Amino acid sequence: MPGPVDKTLDLELAAITDESRKLAAAIKPASGPWDVIVVGSGASGGMAAFQLATAGVKVLMLEAGRMLDHKAEYRTMEWPYASTRRGRLPGDQRAIQAAEYNFYDRPYGNNPEFAKYKKLSSYTANTFTRNWTVNEKEHPTTGTPYAWVRARVLGGKTNYWGRVAIRYGPLQFKAASRDGFDIDWPIGYEDVSPYYDKVDTLLGCSGTKEGLIQVPDGIYQRPMKMNCVETHFKKTIAKMGRSYIPGRCGVSTEGQLNNKYRSRCLGRGRCSRGCDVNANFHSPAALVYPARDTGNLTIRPYSVVSEVFLDEATGKAGGVRVIDANTKEVMDFKARVVVLGAGTLDSTRILLNSKSPKHPNGLGNSSGLMGCYLSEHHMGPRGSGFIPMRVGTEPTLDDGRPTAPYIPRFRNVTDKHPDFIRGYHFQGGGGSYEYPSLAHDMPGFGKALKSNIRKYYPAMLSIGGFGEVLPRKENRVLLDPEVKDAWGIPVLRFDFKFRDNEITMARDMADTADEMLRAAGAENIKIDPTMLPEGWSIHEIGTARMGEDPKASVTHKFCGLHDVPNVFFADAAPFVSGGTQNTTWSILAFCWRTMDYVKEQMRTGVV
Amino acid sequence: MSGPLVTRRNALKALGATAGAATILPWLSDEGLAAFADVQKAGTAPVLRVLTPAQYVTVERLVEAIIPTDERSPGARDARVADYMDLLLAEADEGLRKDWLAGLAALDAESTRRFGRSFAKLDAAQTDALLTDISAYETRKVVADAALDVPRNEQPKPQPPQVDTLLGDIGRHKGSRKSQLETFFANTKQATIHGYYTSEIGIHKELRYKGNKVLLEFVGCLTVDGKDCPYCGQKAEA
Repeated sequence: MPGPVDKTLDLELAAITDESRKLAAAIKPASGPWDVIVVGSGASGGMAAFQLATAGVKVLMLEAGRMLDHKAEYRTMEWPYASTRRGRLPGDQRAIQAAEYNFYDRPYGNNPEFAKYKKLSSYTANTFTRNWTVNEKEHPTTGTPYAWVRARVLGGKTNYWGRVAIRYGPLQFKAASRDGFDIDWPIGYEDVSPYYDKVDTLLGCSGTKEGLIQVPDGIYQRPMKMNCVETHFKKTIAKMGRSYIPGRCGVSTEGQLNNKYRSRCLGRGRCSRGCDVNANFHSPAALVYPARDTGNLTIRPYSVVSEVFLDEATGKAGGVRVIDANTKEVMDFKARVVVLGAGTLDSTRILLNSKSPKHPNGLGNSSGLMGCYLSEHHMGPRGSGFIPMRVGTEPTLDDGRPTAPYIPRFRNVTDKHPDFIRGYHFQGGGGSYEYPSLAHDMPGFGKALKSNIRKYYPAMLSIGGFGEVLPRKENRVLLDPEVKDAWGIPVLRFDFKFRDNEITMARDMADTADEMLRAAGAENIKIDPTMLPEGWSIHEIGTARMGEDPKASVTHKFCGLHDVPNVFFADAAPFVSGGTQNTTWSILAFCWRTMDYVKEQMRTGVV
Repeated sequence: MSGPLVTRRNALKALGATAGAATILPWLSDEGLAAFADVQKAGTAPVLRVLTPAQYVTVERLVEAIIPTDERSPGARDARVADYMDLLLAEADEGLRKDWLAGLAALDAESTRRFGRSFAKLDAAQTDALLTDISAYETRKVVADAALDVPRNEQPKPQPPQVDTLLGDIGRHKGSRKSQLETFFANTKQATIHGYYTSEIGIHKELRYKGNKVLLEFVGCLTVDGKDCPYCGQKAEA
């Protein structure tokens, strides 16, 4: 009589790693030619490759990790009891915890406390994502504490992203005009909104039109309804002039007729493990595979890009230098255009490492600003409580949906807060989720404990904040002069910290969470005002900011380098300021816009 | 069910794993894997890695006292939480394991001091009295460690992290405000909660969780038959 299969132990990656090695071995610099090299295969690299390949451009995509076997690797419907460790990591692996980021010296992987682990991952590693996150021991960082989350595998972090799909709006693009801090973007919402529309249509986005300036409306598929505790909370905070709207998420709730790899959302929840029917946007199914089907896309896995090299004759970029992740063989791949989609920080690192006599501080860095103005979102302050109307009722099914509701920014929208500029939003909802996390805070033992957990289980509501981090020149990354990664590439040294505006804003987040939960009549309100470490949001932007003036910015308004005409960012490095919005949907829209520009430059022979 | 020769190969077979899986299992010893394969078969005797049979009985009594069988569902004993505890202990740091086992011994010592018998032999009222005392800290107002309650961003220096729970979490308060027995109880309780509510009994019988299945449309708070919500009054769509 066999027991239940433990899929955690059963997971077999040999086939996909073998296939990846074979693919890598088969693709050499002479295998081309290619028109464009795209570095990375996540949201940005995927969108870049899709736009170019479907337009007939020959693309070489370089992914630092392996290919993905999503059918085997996405354990979407696995029950916790299918695993020996009930979701905990295997004993030789460890995820860095919040308190450790700030306390332990960098590189984190060097700490003697972690010597006994074979793999040390960022905080996001769990039993479902552990094969995608990078090993900090191979990918060190130095400088100030920073929870830098990286995934090296086809699709990158889109394999387990948070799905929140919110547009930037006029409040971000003209933020400086509103409060006098820093500068406006060189473009406005009207420049990008058509591209957000296209992204919504191509990829599918669930949400509702609300007419709010802080979160402009998109083109939406079926939205997620609210449950009792959320409906009650919505009514409550409406009286305070605040909105609580169905979450907007990059999930196709009605299906995508344009993509044979994707299905509509089946309402099972568990999206962050990877969605095995691909209703959730993830780059491979939504963009990379369709691009490959055109015959115009070559994907080379295990390709670690160390630098963009210069063509001395033309002064343009000639291509990229690749170190094979397994064989360590060094190869130069050439193309007319280089598109960087390695993620804001890794794309920046590649260019900082692209030094030549003409570009001694890195390619495209004549301004000296490459790496500066790093920004993201600060997180941490959160609140929870029990909404009385559902205390003691039978549990409903509340996690069979891809997202929870959203409280759009309400500070400094129409009013002016006396203590800080910019603002924050909350994400979060309530009801019965598979795991009753409230149990850990419930006092007592025995029948009373058990029945109290059951009694309050349907009534929980919790929200957590995401706040704007002001873009500051002094918040930056640079190359570490000594420490190198496992492939000999200099690593990033962070010089980044939250400052007064963020800390003051975080205090206000905790206060307003408390205020709203009190207004909703919640019982047993718990407020945690603690900020999470820098980097936690995984929304890094700004290290190659766009602008009109080449002395005050790194890229022009189409995300290309001022200094070199044929190098472009597909990711969020050119973003000037990040508002409170989760970044992925903007990366996709901006990338599409940039690729339209690249195609035009290629057509007219500029590059 | 388990034969005298529980090999790695047999264990993998019992788990339905392919032989290739062995190469990705360096972190679990043969005994550990065999133990869990065995535990997965309902009703089989535990194969213990850390706990002695006597300790196992004590742990079973303790976890069942924390989450007991009641009129709605079976408790932590039937959910094999004691086996899960043994697995956690097997994979915990040595220091943590020693501390926890010392806590278990202290529980028996306290039980003997007060009632003249070991914890496993206490009757319901005695168990209740003992656990009431060692869990009283949960509702106690603590002033001494108030400095640790200052948010991280407002502390002059970050607090040193310290893994002090079997679940591998870092306790923000480092357990310093608790006695040995209180720390032991807190740790055991959290692990019991995790083990129980991730078990089939906890998820399906106790919580009656309805998800992890195809749901074509999220119904929000509305009842499935489309009537207005009886709790919050949200209107059913026409």
